[in-house]
This record gives sequence, C-alpha cells and structure tokens, in this order.
Amino acid sequence: MTTLHGQRLTETLESCRPLPPEEPNILQTLLAVQSVLGHVPPNAIPQIAQVLDIAEAQVAGVLSYYPDLLTQSAGRHLIRVCMGESCLANRSSLVLRAIQDHLRVSAGDNEPENRFTLEQMSCAGNCAVSPTVMIDEDLHGRVIHAGIPSLLEPYR
Amino acid sequence: MKTARLHLSNDTSSLAAGAGRLADAWSDRPEIQLIRTSSRGAFFLEPMVERDMPGGREAWFNVMPEDLPRIVGGIGGTPVTEIPFLQQQTRCTFANFGITEPLAFDDYQRRGGLKGLAQAQSLSPESIVEELRISRLRGRGGAAFPVWKKWQVAQQTGSEQKYVVANADEGDAGTYCDRMIMEGDPFRLIEGMLICARTIGATRGYIYCRYEYPAAARAVKFAIQKALEAGLLDFDDYPFDLGVVVGAGSYVCGEETALLESLEGRRGVVLAKPPYPAESGLYGKPTVVSNVLTFATIPNILANSGAWHASLGTEGSRGTIALQLGGRVKQPGLVEVPFGLTLHDVLDRFGGGLATGSRFKAVQVGGPLGSLFPESQLDIPICYDAFADAGAILGHGGIVVYDHETDMVELARHFMAFTADESCGKCTPCRIGSVRGREILERIQSGQGTAEDLTLLSDLGATMKITSLCALGGRAPYPVETAIEHFGEEFRQGAHFMRPG
Ligand SMILES: Cc1cc2nc3c(=O)[nH]c(=O)nc-3n(C[C@H](O)[C@H](O)[C@H](O)COP(=O)(O)O)c2cc1C
Ligand code: FES
Repeated sequence: MTTLHGQRLTETLESCRPLPPEEPNILQTLLAVQSVLGHVPPNAIPQIAQVLDIAEAQVAGVLSYYPDLLTQSAGRHLIRVCMGESCLANRSSLVLRAIQDHLRVSAGDNEPENRFTLEQMSCAGNCAVSPTVMIDEDLHGRVIHAGIPSLLEPYR
Repeated sequence: MKTARLHLSNDTSSLAAGAGRLADAWSDRPEIQLIRTSSRGAFFLEPMVERDMPGGREAWFNVMPEDLPRIVGGIGGTPVTEIPFLQQQTRCTFANFGITEPLAFDDYQRRGGLKGLAQAQSLSPESIVEELRISRLRGRGGAAFPVWKKWQVAQQTGSEQKYVVANADEGDAGTYCDRMIMEGDPFRLIEGMLICARTIGATRGYIYCRYEYPAAARAVKFAIQKALEAGLLDFDDYPFDLGVVVGAGSYVCGEETALLESLEGRRGVVLAKPPYPAESGLYGKPTVVSNVLTFATIPNILANSGAWHASLGTEGSRGTIALQLGGRVKQPGLVEVPFGLTLHDVLDRFGGGLATGSRFKAVQVGGPLGSLFPESQLDIPICYDAFADAGAILGHGGIVVYDHETDMVELARHFMAFTADESCGKCTPCRIGSVRGREILERIQSGQGTAEDLTLLSDLGATMKITSLCALGGRAPYPVETAIEHFGEEFRQGAHFMRPG
C-alpha cells in the first residue's frame, strides 16, 4: 500500500468507526474502502478489524464471501459479461469468448497491459436488451460478438 | 416554429438500447423539448421516442439520431394506444411507466400517487391488515406468502423498534421489474413502505439494493430526499428513517434471513426459521421483509380497495403479475396482466414468437431455480396453483426462452454450477450436493457418463429437495431434472451410454 492509499484508508475507516451502542457493519465498511481504493487489499484487514473492534477472521470472512468485493486492483477498465440465463440464451458465451480472444485475457484476470480486467457477472437487469456487457458503469445491450473490437475501442 | 415535446426513457435498459445516444445528439436542437421519462417496458421497440400530438402521444420505434426530422415533421408515428404489446396489458402497478418523469414528485401526485397513503392514514392498523386480507395479495418475491399475515404478525408483536425492509436484491436472472420500479416510479415503492411502516409501527426502513443496480440506488436515494422534504417521513409522533443499503453480489442474499444478516454487515448466510423475521428479524426486532414489487402494489390496493384487487386474476392468484420476457423471444419486455393467461398466450401474444432465425426449444419460468417447459406443456395457466401442481414456480415472473441451438447438458451444468457458486454453505445438501451435481454433469458432458450417473443425479436431487435449508438447494434440482425429463436423449449420448450391458 502506498502512503496515499494508507492515508485514504485511515480516513475512510474513521468515518466507519461505530459509535456505541451501534454495532460495526463489516460489509458496509468494506464497500466504503472499495469505493475509495477500488478494491480491498487483504493487508488492510488488521487495521479494519482494529477500528471496528472485531476479530480479523470476521473481516476476512466477509471479504471472501461477497463476489463484488475485490481483493486485487482491477485494470483501468472493468469489463463484466453477463452470464445470466437471458444473456446465455442470447449467446453471451460467444461474446465472452470474443472478448477473451480480442484482449488475450481469460475471465477473472487482468490483461497484461493492465488496461482491462475481464469478469463474468450474474444478471444486470438488462435482460430485455441482452446480451449485456458492462464496462465500468456503462451498460451495453444487444452486444454481438462480431462487434467487440468497436465496442472496446473507446476504452483503449 | 412551435417546439415539439418529445419523451424519451431514461431507464437503464433504454440507455443500453441507445437512448443516451439520441439525447446526446439532440441536446442543442431548438425545435424540440426532450423530457426524460421511465420506460413503457416494450424494450424491443427501444429506443422509442414519443411525441405529444393533438390526438395523444405518438411513438417512433428503434430510433436513430438521424430520424429527428421525421419525428419533428410528424411523419410515420404510431399512436401509443395502438401498440399491440401495450394495448393488451392491464397496467395497474406499472400505470405510470413511460408517462411520468420518475423523480418529479408532482407528476406522481397528479397521477394519483399518495392516495393510498392518505387512505391508510384514515384507517386503524387492524383495518389496513383487513383490507390486505380482502385483497388476497401474495408476496411477489418468489415465495408467494400472503402479505396480510406477515404484516399482522409484525403489527401484533410488541417492540419499541420495528423495521420495514424492501428486498431489492432481484437476483433471478431474467427479471428486471424491481429495477424498473426503483428507476422509473420510486415514489410508489416509498409509498408502499410508508403504509407498511404506519401499519406495524416501524421507525426505520431499509431498501437492500443489489450492487449491480447503481442507477436504481441513486434514483431511490433521490426520491427519499424529496419525500423527506415533502414531510412524508414525519409520522404523527416520530420521524421515519428510510435509507438505501447496497449489497455485494451474492444471490442467496435475496433470501430474507440471509438478507438481514447482510444488512447487519455479516456474511449473508441463511438462518433456520422460525423465528420468522416478522417476529424476530433485523437486530432481533420484528421486521417485514417484502419484495419491491409487493410494496409497489400496495398503494393501489389502499386507494382502490382490497375488493378491487381481489377482482383481478384467478382463485388462488389475485391481482396482476409482472412478467418479464427475455431470451430468444422476438419481443422482450415487461408484461403486466391479470393472472390466468396461459404460458403459450404470453409467448405468442406478447413475446411475438421467436427471435429471427430461432426455433423454440424450451422456456424457463421463475429464474435459475425455475422449471423448464417444452413446447407440449405451454398450455399451463400462469397462476400459483397450476405451477405448484406442476412442481414449478412463478418465482419473480422471469420468463426466458431458449432456442434450438441450446445445449441442454451445458445448460443443466450451468444451473448446478450456479448453485455451487452461490450456496451460502450453511447446509450440507446444498453446499456439497450442488458440487457433486455439477461434477456428474461435467462427466456426462465429457462423454464419460453412464446410466448410473442419471440415477445418481436423480437421488441427489431428491435429497437436496427434502433436506436443504432454503429454496436455493431445495429448488436447484428442478431445472436440471426438467431438462433431463424433456431432453433426455441429449444426456444419453455419451460413449458409455452406447455400450451394451
Ligand atoms: C435463494 C433465494 C433467493 C431469493 N432472492 C430473492 C430476491 O432476489 N428478491 C426477493 O424479493 N425475494 C427473494 N427471495 C425470497 C425471499 O426469501 C422472501 O421470501 C421475499 O423477499 C419476501 O417478500 P415477498 O413476500 O414480498 O415476496 C429469495 C429466496 C431464496 C430462497
Ligand atoms: S440475464 Fe443478463 S442482464 Fe439479465
């Protein structure tokens, strides 16, 4: 962790410190950290546990439980391909493969130059305009595998 | 020149279909005034642009930026009242969709909003519960439990502190009506929650919204702020505190006990019931957990009476159902109709048949835990009883159509892998059974399957159904078993099946 990271982590955690008799909320604390740092570095677990006054194992347990809590920094852009049933029916596995081939990266990984991270996601609620690819906060619908290069171009 | 008043949806799916491109391209055009609304739900026509005309609104479908002159010239529009997909629906909970600006509080009131709350304020808690009993409304999140019973328990359980929680986890793939409500008519959700809070005497409310719905969370937060400013959250003797809490991508967190665990910040693990949340829920206090659509249905019931609601639908399924069409249908979108149409009717009249180039193979109703239906079983009426008799569920109303290219073994493997990924780990049949189930299907997929594997899968399914703690493990076998039942030959194609003896 850089000093800047460390400082922002400390500030964020201060704002999450529970005021008794309030109970600590581990999940919301981790989400707050993620919104500031982009992910939750596992080496921050001791500090988080200390501020919330709970065992480190409790923090680690919550961190490992939720798929949307990231423990590694993502590339500059996070690409998420929906694997929900409406998207599957509309060939999202072809879309996933096209992205993998185009970027030479496998799902769950960062591309070598660290521009993109590729993930699978469950339903984005965009099923009527599927298949769905989410890039950062932008939702793209009716994606066809042949259109992948032009879809990714603006994010390069 | 008079400016043309145009309406364009700001719904996430409309944007994904290209509505944002239109808004950007037309942002400085003096000849138009562009109003951003919710979506009608006819997503196959999106981006759709509507224009105020002397005879009512007209619509242009699948619009491109260069279509503006045609729209301004009034050429080629279709009166909205003549769009068959919409014309054949009974819009009650979704009556405002495509018409109002989602975050304009006066729009909401002008169209009858807050009448239900006003009615509730003139009634005793017992009379409100009675009205809901008469309405025969059942929860829309999946379990279809009578709403009045839950409210009655929470109301009668004594406690200083009680909670109202809206389940906005909408985990079933193929469903999006909760998202549409939160983005498109958030005051309706808030009104429903306020009616509940007054009835049971709750002081706090939470909307537990999935991480994948950032626009919905923003819209609801904004609407809560407006409701606060309008004084709606000032109850007679105390302020009602309402907030949005975001989850982190776990499917099982949609199960109510896991949801409450997650709301308290822990791992979202399912707890044994009883006690039910209505008696002992969030922080051990009486808590009504209901689905977003359930809450959004309540204002109309109070405004129009329970008898009005009970007059729609079938014997055991009163009111309307919000079906969400997806997959390989020609016309995916939101369909609100009274219960009772057959599945075939819905696919035909609303879905418009199959997408170009596709032939029907199967349809799944009720999300990833729902059963698959082949073409020969489409005459089933859409209501709780008929589905329960068939061992199927309506779930949250998702309908996904699969076409002839679908590999049923792969689909079955996908379902088991989904359960294995999402299992909270609390109960053994779900945690281990789903992994074993996935492994068997992978064996079949690799051509190594034997007849015993199918027997094993069936025994495994029977065990999971009976012994799992919640419906994740308990329902996971259904899509797999219905796939084998109707498309068995695909599962028996492996080498070991061929060998005699
Ligand atoms: C695995 C699992 C996932 C669920 N997911 C959801 C969900 O995403 N949204 C929802 O409203 N209910 C979901 N439920 C149902 C809830 O447990 C609960 O019955 C519901 O929120 C009650 O609200 P209702 O009475 O309005 O339906 C799920 C249940 C299970 C077993
Ligand atoms: S299934 Fe992909 S958006 Fe719903």
